[in-house]
Amino acid sequence: MVGEVQTGLLQNSGEIPDSLSTELLALVRGERVRVFRRPIAYAVSPDRLTGVDCHLASASGARVRGVGTVLSRASVTGGRLVQGSSQVRVTRGTSNRRLAWSHYMARPGVVEVVGKARAADLAGGFTLDAPPAESLDLGAVSARFVDVVQSSARLDRRAPFRMARTRFRWTAEPGEPDVRLQLRGDNVRTLRLTLPDPFAPGVAELCEDLALHDWLLTALIEIVRRARPGSVARPEAAARLAPAIDHILHLWMPAARVQDSLLHVWESLEHRPGFTRQWQSLVNRVRDHVTVALLTVAGGDGRSGD
Amino acid sequence: MLIFAISDKGGTGRSVTSGNIVYRRSLQGNDVCYVDFDFGSPTVGAIFSISEAERGTRRGGTHRYLQGEVAEPHRIDIWAESDREGLRVKPPGAGQLVLYPGDEGGGEFPTLTEELLRQCVRLFSRLDEEFDLVMVDLSAGRSFAAHLALAATARLPGVHSRWLVFHRWTRQHIIAAAGLVNGERGLLDVGAEHGHDPAELADRVRFVRTAVLEQDSAELAGLRPTQLAWLNDCDRELRELSARHKVGRTRMLGKVPLDPVLQWREQLISDEDVLASQIANAGTVAAFDDLAKKVVDDNAWEGL
Ligand SMILES: Nc1ncnc2c1ncn2[C@@H]1O[C@H](COP(=O)(O)OP(=O)(O)OP(=O)(O)O)[C@@H](O)[C@H]1O
Ligand SMILES: [Mg+2]
Repeated sequence: MVGEVQTGLLQNSGEIPDSLSTELLALVRGERVRVFRRPIAYAVSPDRLTGVDCHLASASGARVRGVGTVLSRASVTGGRLVQGSSQVRVTRGTSNRRLAWSHYMARPGVVEVVGKARAADLAGGFTLDAPPAESLDLGAVSARFVDVVQSSARLDRRAPFRMARTRFRWTAEPGEPDVRLQLRGDNVRTLRLTLPDPFAPGVAELCEDLALHDWLLTALIEIVRRARPGSVARPEAAARLAPAIDHILHLWMPAARVQDSLLHVWESLEHRPGFTRQWQSLVNRVRDHVTVALLTVAGGDGRSGD
Repeated sequence: MLIFAISDKGGTGRSVTSGNIVYRRSLQGNDVCYVDFDFGSPTVGAIFSISEAERGTRRGGTHRYLQGEVAEPHRIDIWAESDREGLRVKPPGAGQLVLYPGDEGGGEFPTLTEELLRQCVRLFSRLDEEFDLVMVDLSAGRSFAAHLALAATARLPGVHSRWLVFHRWTRQHIIAAAGLVNGERGLLDVGAEHGHDPAELADRVRFVRTAVLEQDSAELAGLRPTQLAWLNDCDRELRELSARHKVGRTRMLGKVPLDPVLQWREQLISDEDVLASQIANAGTVAAFDDLAKKVVDDNAWEGL
């Protein structure tokens, strides 16, 4: 299994209500947007298929052709974050040539290899830093779904701060449980999972949840960096930290929708690199800074310095 | 916020000035990017000292992206990839500085298709999501790129966009710059065709005078009083002319003095160039700094 999740800040000044999320995510006529309210507001579009016939990146550089369909969906979390998520299950084809489209349409989310390929070679290729041009690009597909939501005229486009989208590429292969997360340049993350059942339906949801929290952490780090607490006057730094408090701190809800059988992946990432630990320490820093700034303003001493 | 850089004539200093504005804005702490839409001659790589993209990139730039040939346009992080050593250290507090170069060999577009327009809207919308300021260098004259930008922004009513018109401080340039905005088939005309409200669009246009020889500048130190008086008269005439053509002070965002370094080379002027090597003038940097502040300052853009 391979997938890519793109996560970004919804281009709106405030949180949007469930009803608007539902409207934005109604990408497929006739099918319903699913909305969950607990433990956090979450709305997800029906799945959509995109047909592909292209090269598949491989770690060895071997040319492999794949034909099939990509399964994608878009979602809005907390009325604040938007995600586009695409996945495919790559399987050995039954034939050495391309079959009729009806064959592939009957297998949603499956891309069949035309010819020979090794699974590990393909997984390695998908998490390459720069996959070769014109190979299957799940990121491009996911980005389109985010674009569709972001371009809605119902959003006011006055987001509280600017933030790059993150691109979370993942692969899941059968084997002894193992988790490898890497942060790369240009906001790309790669996660290589090995699981007893990599095709379980919850795997993509797990990756979406991880991608969401990785975005939150990345954004908070960036907001703190921009605010430069300690280097600029306290009230000024506090004003720059405020959007974090108003708009993202409450969105941290690890493993909100992750199946029990996959919780161990989250737990392993909590152990190392320690997502929640880092998040909590940043949150404390932001809160402390803003509190001190408020106190000094109240005490009539607005000078800079920590 | 999207800022579009246009000029009627070529060689006015549009790219160099807008490049320096973006550079100053990032030093002031904003995340900024520079997008080369001068499809015919994509040369801004040189201004940012990116030799790999001096004449555009080979790895899929803006032109190929708009044609749907690449999923993402080539993106260059100036703080990491510039060949100029002084630029490769991101000062504390500075924001991102990213270049989206054009394609080597360039190329134009035959017609404005729906697909192309959609791709452009997508690009602007994504960049606006990530950057505080997105500077788009359109080509000189009534270009296809300007058409495309007007059509795309008409579809992005929620996104702030502003237009900077660069011109030199001469009779011909003043008249030409005015014509580019108010004239037949000018910015307002074409904007209206694409659904912009001309009055509202006009409020989002400001002029920038480039390579201006100031009366008190050192370059004029050796002149005779008669020569100075004559220059003074010329300057007054130009001021009157520009006011008549609605290019006067009220619509001017700023001006950049003639700079010895820029006369020789298209480049970013760093503080180092002024303070350490003292090759560039402090007044030039001050002018870029001022423009970088005003370009995002709503007070400077109040309706006239
Ligand atoms: N303030 C200035 N003082 C002196 N020279 C300048 C100044 N600004 C720009 N120049 C010079 O003017 C020339 C043209 O500048 P630039 O390439 O930026 O123009 P342009 O309008 O982008 O041209 P084109 O239409 O060909 O893209 C360059 O050599 C540049 O270094
Ligand atoms: Mg130029």
